[in-house]
Amino acid sequence: MIELNAQTIAFAILSVLVLGGGLGVVTTRNLVHGALWLVLSLLGVAGYFVLLSAPFLAAVQVLVYIGAIAILIVFAVMLTRSMTSLGEVRNRQWWLSAITVILLFLLLAVGIILPVWGRGAPGEVTSLSATVGGAVELGEALVAGDGFVLPFEVASILLTAAMIGAIVVARDEEDEGA
Amino acid sequence: MTDIPVLADLNLAWTWPVVGLGLGATLLLVADLFIPRDRKQQTAWLALAILLVSFLLNLAAFPVVDSAFFGMFVVDPFSAFLNLIALTTAFISILLSVDYLQRSGMQRGEFYALILFTTAGVMLMGHANDLVVVFVSLELLSIPLYILAAFRYPDVKSSESGMKYLVLGAFASAFFVFGAALIYGATGSTSLPHIFEVVARGFAAGGAPELLLLVGTGLVLVGLGFKVAVVPFHMWTPDVYEGAPTPVTAFMSVGAKVGGFAALLRILVFALPVLSTGAVEASAWQQVVSLIAAATLILGNVVAIAQQNVKRLLAYSSIAHAGYIMMALAAAGHAGFGEQATRAALVYMLAYMFTNLGAFAVAIAIEKGDGSGSDLEQFVGLGRSRPLLAGIMAFFMLSLTGIPLTAGFIGKWLIFQVTIEAGLVPLAILGVLTSVVSAYYYIGIIVRMFLREGEGDPAAGGTGLVNGAVYLTFAGTLLPGIFPYLMTDLTRVVSTTPVGG
Repeated sequence: MIELNAQTIAFAILSVLVLGGGLGVVTTRNLVHGALWLVLSLLGVAGYFVLLSAPFLAAVQVLVYIGAIAILIVFAVMLTRSMTSLGEVRNRQWWLSAITVILLFLLLAVGIILPVWGRGAPGEVTSLSATVGGAVELGEALVAGDGFVLPFEVASILLTAAMIGAIVVARDEEDEGA
Repeated sequence: MTDIPVLADLNLAWTWPVVGLGLGATLLLVADLFIPRDRKQQTAWLALAILLVSFLLNLAAFPVVDSAFFGMFVVDPFSAFLNLIALTTAFISILLSVDYLQRSGMQRGEFYALILFTTAGVMLMGHANDLVVVFVSLELLSIPLYILAAFRYPDVKSSESGMKYLVLGAFASAFFVFGAALIYGATGSTSLPHIFEVVARGFAAGGAPELLLLVGTGLVLVGLGFKVAVVPFHMWTPDVYEGAPTPVTAFMSVGAKVGGFAALLRILVFALPVLSTGAVEASAWQQVVSLIAAATLILGNVVAIAQQNVKRLLAYSSIAHAGYIMMALAAAGHAGFGEQATRAALVYMLAYMFTNLGAFAVAIAIEKGDGSGSDLEQFVGLGRSRPLLAGIMAFFMLSLTGIPLTAGFIGKWLIFQVTIEAGLVPLAILGVLTSVVSAYYYIGIIVRMFLREGEGDPAAGGTGLVNGAVYLTFAGTLLPGIFPYLMTDLTRVVSTTPVGG
């Protein structure tokens, strides 16, 4: 069973942050508040990375998600003022999706809890990772031949295509004549 | 870890069809800068040349079984066959696009580069031997398609099409990633051969598979189900197909499906064939896939009857055809039938590719420059004004129905055969019955073209290139219909043994 130590307590606090933040995002009507709740939730995820001995990923999480993406969302909300307080939008099938989501949640909860606490659960607790994953390890994993070099390269092509596409879609027709 | 691997270790030799295509697409973007605005057709010729080179490289690699990038990338006849389909689809789509873009004022060089990028994504889906690679290739396949769907930019319908595809596509990707994460959690690996080993070991030990693995497989099925548009994940299809520029719809209806089915077959048949809930011979996913196939066949074929727009009709028809390929997948879930069913699915996709692209080519020929004119009424009298075009369209419709002497018949025959042999007789009967239903709306088009009086559309869009595409797809539909071994022999070397590790 679970020992009560500093890590477990930290995990519990972070979980409250992540889940509470997520709940805030979906319940608030104000998009700016929603963005702030999202920051809270993402901060909790950064904490998870620290617990998983991946401080570099935690820093990236803070820099990219909180520093860049959340700010971008706030800017987008500011620039589209009419969206700051939305009315309720529901279609007739909301109960169907509610049932599906609850069933999926229960299935996942059981699926995750069973191997940990159910019968035949491993008696000893295996530690997650002995090595601290820093920038060097991450960099090697991305470019080493037996690491993730192929997904890395495909992702770079993908980003090129996405960037070209964003320009194509956003370009103003009038500029073309110039 | 710190040893720097030399390039030779990556075993790049057989990856050139895909790597070359990605490289070509990137170079095409640069070359396009130097091509003047009024001569953008030259970009299209370059794109066609790149596709041709990739096609020839792929033919050279056809019977090779090997793996590259330390097992992440697999080269085998299965992926080579899918590459042939993907490259031909892109080739014909570009033939259809050149004049279409010109007359609707959308002639931009980026279009062709984006088609090449998404084709590279489709090909990578077939080569992927690792869930991470499947995911990035799925995105490489999808993101250019979102943009292409919205390419007729200020047009509201086209923007709606791109937006819907983007939102639902992102949703589907999220399902896929979640599923892949759960499979990783249950097996400790994202590599497909390794997953196969872990699941097979668990099966041999007699234990029931972990719930997480089952849920993960289910979520992966949902994510890819969106891509190939099977019921109940098909809702976006008619709107997206209708709003997108027609050559893009033509590409989407084949390319995105081929990519999705490549990954489905690779994951379910190659990696998880022994995922079983007990001593039964069928995989745990067989029942779900059968149900999806049945629902897709019924809904796709029945709703297609009510359609008044040829693009919407072909959208529902493409949903129905995804249902037939799902039938093959269901049959593959029966122990010992994986190989035969995979071959049937491959032949079906090849036949569907030629026939469906041909039908879209004819639809482009009669479409107006402003994107209107795709109502079914537009076909009235075409048999009088353009008899050859109408005759070929009639042949495509018969092939989609599955009448003998067409490629569509061979595909359906192989799929029904393997479904019956795998013991899924009710599903096979449903397949035959829905084919009969589909005859109603396919033959409805033939009736409009030949039997109803009308002025007849001049088919102004039927330029030399479009006609070329029509004849090419006609040959691709007719010849295998008469000589089936042209298609079936190619699949003879396909095996479903997991490669590398």
